[in-house]
Parts: sequence; C-alpha cells; structure tokens
Amino acid sequence: MRVLCVAEKPSIAKAVAGHLSGGEVQTHNTPEKYIKNYVFDYDFGRPWGKCQVTMTSVLGHLTTAEFPPEYKKWDYPPPDRLFDAPVNVVVAADKTKVADNIEKQARYANALCIWTDCDREGEHIGYEICEAARKGNRTLDIRRAKFSNIERAHIINASRNLINLDLKQVNAVATRIEFDLRIGYAFTRFLTTSLKTLGGPFQNLLLSYGSCQFPTLGVMHKREDIDVNFSWARHRLFDRASVIIPYERCLTAKRAKVTKVQEKPTKKWKPLPLTTVELQKMATRFLGMTGQQAMETAEGLYNKGFISYPRTETDRFDPGMNLRALVQKQTQSHAWGEFAQNLADGGFQQPRQGRNDDKAHPPIHPITFAAPSVLNDREKKIYEFVVRRFLACCSEDAKGVTTNVDIMYGEESFHAHGVVVLERNYLEVYVYDKWTGSVQLPKFTVGEMFEPTEALMTEGKTTPPPYLTEADLIALMDANGIGTDATMAEHIQKIQERDYVRTVPKTSRLEEEADDAEGGQVAEGGRAGQSTRGGRARGGRGGRGRGATTNGRGGVMEFIPTQLGVALIEGFDRMNFETSLGKPFLRKEMELKMKAICEGRTTKEVVLGESIQQYRHVYMQSQQKLGVLKAACRQYVFGA
Amino acid sequence: MDLPAQIRSSLQSQGLPPPSIAWIQTAMPNRNPLPPLPAIIATVKTRLLAADLTNPALFDSPSPAFPPNASNPEVKEVKLTWDIPVQVLDIENLSKSKWEQVEELEAIARGEQTRGREVIRLPTGNEEDEFAVDGQATQSTINGAERPGFQGRGGSAVSANTANVATKTSTHRLVLQDCKGQKLYGLELKRIDRIGIGSLNIGEKIILKRGAILARGILLLDATTCTILGGKVEAWQKDWVEGRLARLREAVGADSRNAP
Repeated sequence: MRVLCVAEKPSIAKAVAGHLSGGEVQTHNTPEKYIKNYVFDYDFGRPWGKCQVTMTSVLGHLTTAEFPPEYKKWDYPPPDRLFDAPVNVVVAADKTKVADNIEKQARYANALCIWTDCDREGEHIGYEICEAARKGNRTLDIRRAKFSNIERAHIINASRNLINLDLKQVNAVATRIEFDLRIGYAFTRFLTTSLKTLGGPFQNLLLSYGSCQFPTLGVMHKREDIDVNFSWARHRLFDRASVIIPYERCLTAKRAKVTKVQEKPTKKWKPLPLTTVELQKMATRFLGMTGQQAMETAEGLYNKGFISYPRTETDRFDPGMNLRALVQKQTQSHAWGEFAQNLADGGFQQPRQGRNDDKAHPPIHPITFAAPSVLNDREKKIYEFVVRRFLACCSEDAKGVTTNVDIMYGEESFHAHGVVVLERNYLEVYVYDKWTGSVQLPKFTVGEMFEPTEALMTEGKTTPPPYLTEADLIALMDANGIGTDATMAEHIQKIQERDYVRTVPKTSRLEEEADDAEGGQVAEGGRAGQSTRGGRARGGRGGRGRGATTNGRGGVMEFIPTQLGVALIEGFDRMNFETSLGKPFLRKEMELKMKAICEGRTTKEVVLGESIQQYRHVYMQSQQKLGVLKAACRQYVFGA
Repeated sequence: MDLPAQIRSSLQSQGLPPPSIAWIQTAMPNRNPLPPLPAIIATVKTRLLAADLTNPALFDSPSPAFPPNASNPEVKEVKLTWDIPVQVLDIENLSKSKWEQVEELEAIARGEQTRGREVIRLPTGNEEDEFAVDGQATQSTINGAERPGFQGRGGSAVSANTANVATKTSTHRLVLQDCKGQKLYGLELKRIDRIGIGSLNIGEKIILKRGAILARGILLLDATTCTILGGKVEAWQKDWVEGRLARLREAVGADSRNAP
C-alpha cells in the first residue's frame, strides 16, 4: 500500500518524515524549490499496515477565493454588487507547483494522510489538500493525524491513531474567507473611491478631554520611625467644600481611634498555564517584541520541536500529562536548572486549572531542553519565557502577610495597608512578576487613641487615560472577541500598515508593577498610602481595569491613532447607525458564528446569508450618510 | 373625631409631617360612598408625598422650617432643635467626576456599556424599526443571546436613569428645600443606602430629625438623623433626568475654564 502524507509546511514534513522513517529516507526535489518529497517505509498499524510513504507539504493555503474578472475593476460595477457576485475558489497563482506536486503524487497512492496543524485554518488547508489530491486520484482513502507538537513519541502515537477531517471546521473557515472577501472588497472600494477626492495638509489633532479637579484627604502618623500613611475611605470627592467640612471636623476631633487591626496570610497566585493571547501580551510587555514577532518566533521554536503548538486557548493541563518529566528536562539549564531540580526533587505542584480548553491543544509548554547556543536572540527570549512560565506554573504560590489598620478620625474613616513577603516561591523563577509589598506597619491595637502627626488636604486633578500599549490592545481584543488568538497580531500589524495608528515608545510612568488580574488581588497594597499623600489618582476613569504598566525595561510601545484613524472611527460613529463599523460587535458576531458552525449549531449558508444581509444594510446606510464621514475626514485630517 | 382629623393623626403617627385639615379635605378621594379609612389614609399619604412642600396651603403655619441664618458658613456647627420635613431638589454623586458621568451617559445614549473590559451593546429604542426595513429578521439567535442586560424596548432609557449607580463608598450631595422654600446642601456624612442616583427621586420627602448637624451651612446626613419618607414630584423628576446630561456638560465646561 502506498500512502501520501502532506504537512502544512516543509519543516513539519521534514520532522515528521524523520520520526516515522527512523532516518532511512530518500529525499527528492520538486518543481517548487522549498518543498521536498521524502520517501520511506512505515508501518501505520491497523488498518493500513506496512506502507510505502511519500511525505510532502504545502506552503499554507493552496487556494484563494476571488471574484470573476468582470468584477475586478474599481469603478464598475458598484461596490455593493460584490455582496452577491459569484465567488470562485481557485488555486492561488503562486501555489500551482505545490498543487501539481500533490496531484501527481496522489496518482501513485492508495491513501492520503493529512498532517496540517490542528486548528481551524489547518483543517481548511487539509481540505484544500484533499481537493488537490482528488484531481489526481478519486479513490483515495483519506485520514488526518492529530498532533500538537513534533516530539517523536507524540508523532508516532498520532500516526497510529488517525482520525477524519472535521468538515464543520472546514466550513467555518470557508465562511470566514468568503465573508472577508465580500465585505473587505465592498467597503474598501466604497471608502477609497468616496474619499479619494479629498487631499491637503495635515493639522495637529486635538482630542477633547474634560479635566476635573478633586481634593482628597490623607493622614500620616509616624511611629517606630515608620511613616504610616492612612488613606481616606471616601478616596476623593469632586467638590472642594464637601472635603473642607469633614477635614475641619477631623482637625477638631484631634485624636484618632483605631477601629480595626487585621493581620492575615496572603498569597500571590502563580500564573495560569500559557495561552497564545497571554504569550503575546507578555512578549510585548517584557520581551521587547511585537505580538507578531512573538508568534513568528514561537512558531519557529515549535517547528524545531522545542515547544508545543503555540496557537492555543487552553489554560489548563490535562491531568494525565506527565509534567514532572518535562520539568526534569529543564534541570540542565544554567539559568533555571537549579529551580527545576528543586521541583523535580519534590517541590512540584500541579498547575492551576484555567477555565478555557479549546480541546485541540495543551497550554504552551517546553517539549525538550534547548541549549541557548542553538537559538537566536528572539528565540532565546521566547523560549526562556515559555520555560519560566511553565516552571512557575509547576511551583508554589508566593506567600506573605498583609496588615490592615482602620482608624476613625472625627467622623471619617481612614485605612492603612501593609504587606510583607515571606516566601517568594514561583517568583524566584518567574522574573516577570513582581511583588514589592515590603511596607511593614508598626504595631497598632484596637481601641487605642493617637494624635496623627499630620492631616492633609491635597488637591488633585484627573488626567486623560494613557494610550494603549500592545498588551492592552491584545487584552481588549480578546475581551471583545476581535480576531482569534492566532490572528490578533496580524490585525494589529494591519492597522499600522494602513496608517490608522502609529507606535511610539512609551514615556516612563510612575507605576512599576505589572500585575494581571489573577495576581492582582494583593498587589494593590504597599503603595496605597503614598498615592494618597501625593494626592494623585490614576486617571479619571475608574473601573476600566487597565492593569498594564511599564516595567522600566523599555521597549514598550504605545499606540497613537493617526488623524486618518480618528477621522474614520469618528466618521463611522457619527453616521450613528445601529451596527457601526467602528465598533467591535459585528466582528465578534462573525467569530461567534464560526464557532457555531464548528459545533454544528448552524451552517455556512445560513451564516453567510445573515451576515451579508447585515453588512449590506450597513453599506446602504453608509452610502446615504457619506457626507458625515467626509465631514469627519475634513475635520480631523484637514482641520476644516 | 371627624374624618380629616383622624387622617391627620394617623399620618402623624406614621412619622409624616401633619398637613392642614383644609389640605386633607382637598386630597381626600372624591367618591361616594367613601372607601374604608385605611384606603383613604393611603391615598392622602401618597398625595402628600407627591406634593410640593412649599405649597402654603399644605401646612398650618407656622410649620417647621430651617432655623434663621442656617446657610451661614461662619457657623462651625449647630444642631437642629426640631424635626424638619424637606424635599429633594437635586442629587449629585461626588465620588465620580462629572466628566466620567458625562462619558457614561453618552455611552449609554450610543447604546453601549462596558462590563469589565468588554463593550456591551444595549438595545436602542429604534432598533426594531431599522431591521424592519430589511423585511427580514436579521437578529439571529446568537445576536440575541449575546446581549446581557437586554431589557426589551426602551431599555436604554431605563439605563440612562440608573447610570452611575452608587457603591458602598459613594458620597452624595443633595439640595434640600424646606416648606418655606429655603434651600440647603445635604452631605452624606455616613453612607445611606437609599440615597443614590436612580434610587432617590426628585421631590422625595425626608425628615431631618432633631439633633441633626448643620456645619458651615451644610446639613450632614446619616441614617440616625435623617428619615427618608419616599415619594416624588413626577414633573420635577422628569425634567431632572432629561436635563442631567446637559447640566453635567455645562458644569464640566465651567470647571475646565476655571482650571489654571
């Protein structure tokens, strides 16, 4: 029996061929210079048994969706015709040699085995491969290998447990492709031709922001040579007279009474197992890379077999996985070997279980140890991060003690908070997290009275919220369902290419902690006192949950919208219709619908019908209110 | 005892300021035969709470009002020596900047609200009409299911009303008016749960108890010295809700002009 195996990219074909053949392999060139055909013998087990195998690959998607030639002119037919114009799926012009190779090889084979990456796009590429192969041979027995890294045992196991292609996932991607083609072309043409008549000098952009003043109160008490800063329970009030009155009453009361003293053990939780979104966020924050660069680097590490598949939403390890063995492999490192050894010697703790499981891939983790000498600079950074994160997941939470003291001064209550770190545990290896709660409070007893050293009323002022960093942007895209974890970095790249936003290095900020939501519950301590003293509150908009800050290592970039970007968003918003193109809802719906197709809850035809109808409606409204968009462009881009 | 007098003493025993007999007669239901006494009392009570306290016919004079010179900021502290009924004319949340409140109201007007970091779409009033143009139900099941906080048509109006909901540590300032029409600020000295934008109505009646503190011309409110009776003046409430965004915007504009 002869089997044709096809991977998504040449590096995977080479690695899989190496594992299956055990090294005895003939290599043939193909007309496409990047692709080789590897020929070897292999026993797949039942039902195929011993086979002669040809392993080759494609280079990503083989086919492309396009409109017929008569729709390719920009000026005619009108863009809205693209909503229902025919769409042809054809082999992409630069992939004909790849497709020919598969068609030709299929003629000699009895069976086809797909080795594309196990995600939605991979499933669709697998389907494209089937179609190309069927042109050469209509009787192929078609199977698919399910794998999430290219470690030898994992690959052998996958080859013995072949499954079928999931046509639901294929359809979901096909839906997305057709949708993007129609919507993208229609709106791009509409916008470009409508706005092309505008041109002129750029003027400085001014965003309106209303600043508000607020006073606040703070109490300082010096004891045992420690300045203890108590912050006001009301935090701040946006009215001066309403602060002066309680302030005067505090001063009149003279003495403050301690109403509560609480000391309790606290923890800073170790991080969750690593997902793609988290990898990108952390890379932009700490490794000086863009999300895009981080993903490319991580793919390289995956292709070399050092880490698991880097596109995953899963933040929990399957309990059956042998994590200790993976920890053991890291003991030879100079940097973190000792820490890994301690875990291997009994310090190992099962990682926390996150809530997400994409059922396809485990969280990103190291597969084998990679000596720094075999990695380039970026790979070193990403690999180090993946390993440190993994080891952190397998160790213990950091432990400390918090102290809370409440006092009543006049009718006002004030609060002081202190933290002492006792055991650093995971923080030893996970250098990206900080827990600088070293403020130790002196002894206070409930019921005692004291005269505060100082009581202050300070003035503050709200400031505009800072620009988003890439990490912030990724987190917001994730929360709002824009793009998949795998495509977010590309979207971010795209808006920069289109000149909707520019990046500038972020100016240094006061905060040094960079805590995320999981670990943040204790991290607010320590500094609370000081921040009140200075009369400073971060931004006027509480509750936005913006946790991201710099770490002072530099390299963090901020996104600043260009005049063009602001004009488009403002323009779309001002057109003021239900489904603004400037809002994330439509995109999110598309992503949800793709998921629904994968789960069999709806079909490609239904989704396309619905979504295109929605966008056609938006298109017609845009057309009617084109004047509003043009006015916004004139205002922001030309300062008119 | 005749009926109006009975009603009067019943209202008084419920802690309400006793209105004049003449006013009670005008507020009594105009039906024959009269409904049972408890129903009449309830009707009169509702009308009292919905009335404007400055109506001179409402109380027998002299009715309890703020002491003379109450708004003098030179006076550090005095305590009220009698109970005073007042009505709410305005309420402000001092814990949030005006700009923040403006942004929140504007977002709701656009049909958005945030839940954590996620922007949520609220149903807007005209949405059904818009979709009807297509002659097709564009609202898929996904669409509907993905809208937490869906309150049906007119939901956005409700939300606009309750935006900027108070938390445990919020501090509010009220404008309170006595039956003579005198106005004073009232500041929450201790948090009172019923005081909040959307939960306290304009025209709502409050009794300030004997012993309540008046400091520098501002009444300091806490639950022991201030009893909230309920009620509202419908027309005032409507104007207040409708004009709130404009007032906040104007105040923000004034603030930023005064800023150094």
